[in-house]
Amino acid sequence: MKVWLGLAAMLLLAMIVAACAGNQWASPADLLRAIEGDQDVRSRLLLDWRLPRVVAAAAVGALLGLGGTIYQGVFRNPLAEPYLLGSAGGAALGATVALLVPLALPQTWLLPMLAFAGAWGATMLVIGISRVAGAVDAAGLLLAGVAVAAILGALRSFLMLALSDETVSLQVVLSWVLGGVQTPTWRGVALLILITLACLALSHTLAHKLDVLGLGETMAVAFGLDVHRFVMLAVLAGSVIVAAAVAFGGLVAFVGLAAPHVARWLVGPLHRPLLPAAALVGAIVVVLADAIARAALPPAEIPLGLVTAVAGGPFFILLLARRLRS
Amino acid sequence: MSALSAENLQVARGKSTLLRTLSLKFDATESVAIIGPNGAGKSTLTKALAGTIAPTEGQVRLGRRNLAELPAAARAQSIGFLPQHFEPHWDLGVAELLEIGAARSHGLAADTLEKTMAAFELGGLERRRWSTLSGGERARVLLAMVLVVDPPVLLADEPAASLDIRHRLDLLRALADRGRKWLSVVVVHDLDLAFSFFDRVVLLAKGELIADAPAAQLLDDRRLDDAFGVRFERLRTGEGWHLRACR
Repeated sequence: MKVWLGLAAMLLLAMIVAACAGNQWASPADLLRAIEGDQDVRSRLLLDWRLPRVVAAAAVGALLGLGGTIYQGVFRNPLAEPYLLGSAGGAALGATVALLVPLALPQTWLLPMLAFAGAWGATMLVIGISRVAGAVDAAGLLLAGVAVAAILGALRSFLMLALSDETVSLQVVLSWVLGGVQTPTWRGVALLILITLACLALSHTLAHKLDVLGLGETMAVAFGLDVHRFVMLAVLAGSVIVAAAVAFGGLVAFVGLAAPHVARWLVGPLHRPLLPAAALVGAIVVVLADAIARAALPPAEIPLGLVTAVAGGPFFILLLARRLRS
Repeated sequence: MSALSAENLQVARGKSTLLRTLSLKFDATESVAIIGPNGAGKSTLTKALAGTIAPTEGQVRLGRRNLAELPAAARAQSIGFLPQHFEPHWDLGVAELLEIGAARSHGLAADTLEKTMAAFELGGLERRRWSTLSGGERARVLLAMVLVVDPPVLLADEPAASLDIRHRLDLLRALADRGRKWLSVVVVHDLDLAFSFFDRVVLLAKGELIADAPAAQLLDDRRLDDAFGVRFERLRTGEGWHLRACR
């Protein structure tokens, strides 16, 4: 219980700090005034631009935490991550197509759909390759994932070079690929929160079976789990979650890898508590990283993906080293 | 009617046949040791009987029902399976592992976990993580996880292979004793223990059933020596038998 209260308090604190941080720093008192309905320009800016972005960052972080936990659970590998396994790369390719290729559907629909198709297709491709190659162990899977991620990245770069013109600026796609939470309208925020809660519920339905799968394939089968079917189902669910994260937050590296680890140290490896804990950790990390992205080099904004990679990498190494020593 | 039976069971993987047409019947209460040299198909037979691998030909019956047609959840409740190696991917606690095992059955009494912990001498270990357990403790935790739902059939694939002699004795005796109440089929590496503890011994070699007889009867059988490619000296001891191999 203490852990949960601590995590919730940390998230609240992180969101307050992030809402204050930015090109123009605000005080918590300014925030309160804005929320109370002050009509001053500064207050309107806080309410319509900064706060929704902070909430969106929290949701994207939660989705990344959930996605990472599911991938690590499915592949029974603490190194499995949407980015390593090509799933996020697939989502990014899908989203790039949606942004650059003029198609009949409106972009708001097309982008999440293509992002999902990309995420799912890439993961199935990785599973397929490792099966055909007979490398069903973790190393084979990761190698296949790295290869697929590289190919998808090259394809995406090619599309960006070949298809961008004056009407679609490369800048838009590039800033998105480097990771960055868009500033949604409050309606968009509501939708994003709904999606995140739905993903949380979806992941909860997988939790117990992920635990059974974690006993190893032989035991999982002996305990009555249809391993093949469940893996396919969980990959599908993981792809939905990764696609949602990528659609709203671009390519944000590392959070999906680190959040489950931190959460595992806090609440243990059982998936029922682990999934929501990883969501909270992911939310805290992305909210803070997004604040740094906005406030570090005013008036410019650093891409969020760069912040998470630069700030998160050493943090993760530090935690790992501490854990290995103890 | 037998509790578990294999009818013309055959298992092939790729071009190699792991088990050649083999039929066996097991009663609802008996302890059976499966023995044989390396590559005899002992593991394959156990896995096929447990329903964790599908036979290429023939079928396994649990009571009257074809195991392949039984829902996986029902199979998991009726058949307990102890694998040769068990290493959970996540460092779970003892109580958590038992809960995962108990989740196979829905109608368990509230104090089942506690009773199982006590029965397998795991009291006080509830919060310990797998990585901190000794080999003997791990073996008891695994057994407790599998038996917490009290399945009428237990199949074990050489579960004692990595244990020291005292824990191996304890574990094999516990598995054999379970045969007084339920069916217990165990792959046993140690021939002395197989003949001393178990009612019945099934001898496999090169994927074929060589002999299937009460332990006392098979002990004198020359096919035992042939299957292992040695000559055994059978020595009667206070507690059972000692088989000394000579070339």
